[in-house]
Amino acid sequence: MTKDKAVKIICDARRKGSKTLSEYESKQVLAAYDIPVTKEILLKDKSNLEKTIRKIGYPLVMKGCSPEIAHKTEKGLIHVDIRTIKEAKKVFNEIMAGMKGFDGGVLVQQMIKGGRELVMGMNRDAQFGPCVMFGLGGIFTEILKDISFRRAPLKKRDALDMMREIRGHKILDAVRGMEAVDKKLLIDMLMNIGRIGMEIPEISEIDLNPVIIDGSKPVVVDALIVLEKV
Amino acid sequence: MLKNMKKTGSGKTNFPPTDYERIFHPRRLAIIGVSADASGAGFGTGIFKSITAMGFAGKIFPVNPKGGSLDGQNIFKSLEDIPEEIDFAVIAVAARFVPDVLEACLKKGAAGAEIISSGFSELGTEEGRELERRIKEIAAKGIRVVGPNCFGIYCPASGLTLLPGPDLSRESGPVGFLAQSGGMAIDFAHAGKWMGVRFSKMVSFGNGADLREAELLRYFKDDPETKVISMYIEGIQDGDSFFKEIKAAAGKKPVIVYKGGLSRAGARSVASHTASMGGSGTIWKSVLKQANAIQVHDTEELAQASLAFALLPPKKFSGISVIGGGGAIGVTACDTAEIYGMEIPPLAEDIQQRIYDYLPKPGSSAINPVDVANPFVPPQSLKSVLLAAAEDQRIELQIIVSLLYHYKSIAKMFNKPVAEITPYKELAQAVRDVVDQTAKPVIAVLPNAKRGVDDLDIVEMIALTKKEYVDRGIPVFDELHDAIRAIGHINTYYGGKNHDER
Repeated sequence: MTKDKAVKIICDARRKGSKTLSEYESKQVLAAYDIPVTKEILLKDKSNLEKTIRKIGYPLVMKGCSPEIAHKTEKGLIHVDIRTIKEAKKVFNEIMAGMKGFDGGVLVQQMIKGGRELVMGMNRDAQFGPCVMFGLGGIFTEILKDISFRRAPLKKRDALDMMREIRGHKILDAVRGMEAVDKKLLIDMLMNIGRIGMEIPEISEIDLNPVIIDGSKPVVVDALIVLEKV
Repeated sequence: MLKNMKKTGSGKTNFPPTDYERIFHPRRLAIIGVSADASGAGFGTGIFKSITAMGFAGKIFPVNPKGGSLDGQNIFKSLEDIPEEIDFAVIAVAARFVPDVLEACLKKGAAGAEIISSGFSELGTEEGRELERRIKEIAAKGIRVVGPNCFGIYCPASGLTLLPGPDLSRESGPVGFLAQSGGMAIDFAHAGKWMGVRFSKMVSFGNGADLREAELLRYFKDDPETKVISMYIEGIQDGDSFFKEIKAAAGKKPVIVYKGGLSRAGARSVASHTASMGGSGTIWKSVLKQANAIQVHDTEELAQASLAFALLPPKKFSGISVIGGGGAIGVTACDTAEIYGMEIPPLAEDIQQRIYDYLPKPGSSAINPVDVANPFVPPQSLKSVLLAAAEDQRIELQIIVSLLYHYKSIAKMFNKPVAEITPYKELAQAVRDVVDQTAKPVIAVLPNAKRGVDDLDIVEMIALTKKEYVDRGIPVFDELHDAIRAIGHINTYYGGKNHDER
């Protein structure tokens, strides 16, 4: 049961007193709803690092992962394009040192390469309840605010309209030698975000940013789930 | 109970059964809170006089505990004294008396009542809230309430009118309007009169203790007299039922929404980007789009969109022609058309040639927009131009821009009144003839750069011109931009309605 699995993750987080889910927990909730996320493993100590890397494969991204830490980039807790075990071990130590005092671990993650970044999300409106967002991702989210919203539950047509509505919608087409984005997959993702909003009232906000297009397939690379205040 | 009981909708949501026929077309109407002739005029007397002035055809029973008479009509001391059942009541007594009066109306068999009085939840006091709660309780027993703190119902067919509206039109039309604000309703009712917007029903529901947006949307959706729904809203009671009803209504007929109060004030603090970017204004815009309702941003745009939906055929217009004077018209037309997603295509060569022959030279252009070079081209020539342009298959709608205010210079030359020298009746008739002959709609635009006290004669002449158009069922606007924006709304609606699997 997708919902049960997601709710269990949320209950565990709440028991620990968290107001947000860590990136790793957030992605498990997403995966439970068939939303494609990066392949990743959370490590608490270095002894399993080599085994983990064999499962994920180079190049790697390594991130400090804790529900207590937002703005990982600014804190120097994200390292990308790691290609050797030597480098991985060094980064592991650095991240653990940077996280001193926080509960968490190192997220060893598949590196997704793609020139196009999207954002998706969910917010609860006081009047209309869960609303799903779609738009241009990465640094453009805040700069261009090229986004669209629809109220959940979403119909297929609503998801399509959200994509058409943004000014930069052509980014989804076959442009500059890149494949057209798999729209069916995008539709499913948006509809499933809406389902989470409908089915799990404990979640107040969702931010998936960036969602990077890998070939034609969107993959959630970073995620934040905010819980309702108890 | 009286004749055909009209029950609400499909029963998907549990709205109570309501006899709207007796509410909008009452035959026996009580007005509680009138004053006798000598004792001055309150709201009750105002509404009595307004409804009488409108020529309301049913029986009116004025009520005041002091009795007496008003305009020769006996005032009943209580509702119980009225010798027959009533259909509807207008309540304009002090707030603290309202619950008892409403209860008495219920006992008198009224299907509904509008409560004009204020002094309820809008005060923010415990007493006001308590009074409103009691109104809700009584309403739940089987009398539908409009208000309190409202201007009530306007129904041209029956002669019910808004509180300060003794001179509203008795001509019914396709537009149904609902609003919390009574001021918005009365403004639109008056503006509609000269703009040519005719109403089926208008409901200003004030605090909305009982009947309000979602249920009225359902009513208007099912009302055969209403073809276009217009609304002004500030707050809604329940987002879920509002969304269901507006989506269902927009699936059946155009719904135009002016949402007031979209400021970001009071937004809760949020942690994610998604939440910070999803302010109330953004969400409203999205939700209305999702429902395929048309969002407008002020009262003028609301009235203009209502006019366009009411008078134009229910379809998308991709290609339009613009015919008029003044070089900038062409540029303005093309720029605006592009914003609203329509095209002003060059006319077919042979048509261009024929049009060119009708126009004064030099200075005219027959491409599209057609520049007629001067504002004094005779109506018959303009008619020939419009008829020719309509032959181009890409043209689905035409706009004629007439700079009639220039006729003042000719009037001065001949020392005659401008209204006499301007051939506005011939112009309006020529346009009507074109529509009849081509079956393609024409919109008239009458810009007036001279509206000051020096030019009241022009203001008058333009108003007379508008009336000639309105009387002939031709939509007329002040500015080209307004006209094109209104067509844009039509295109958005019919474009959204017919595209894949809704």
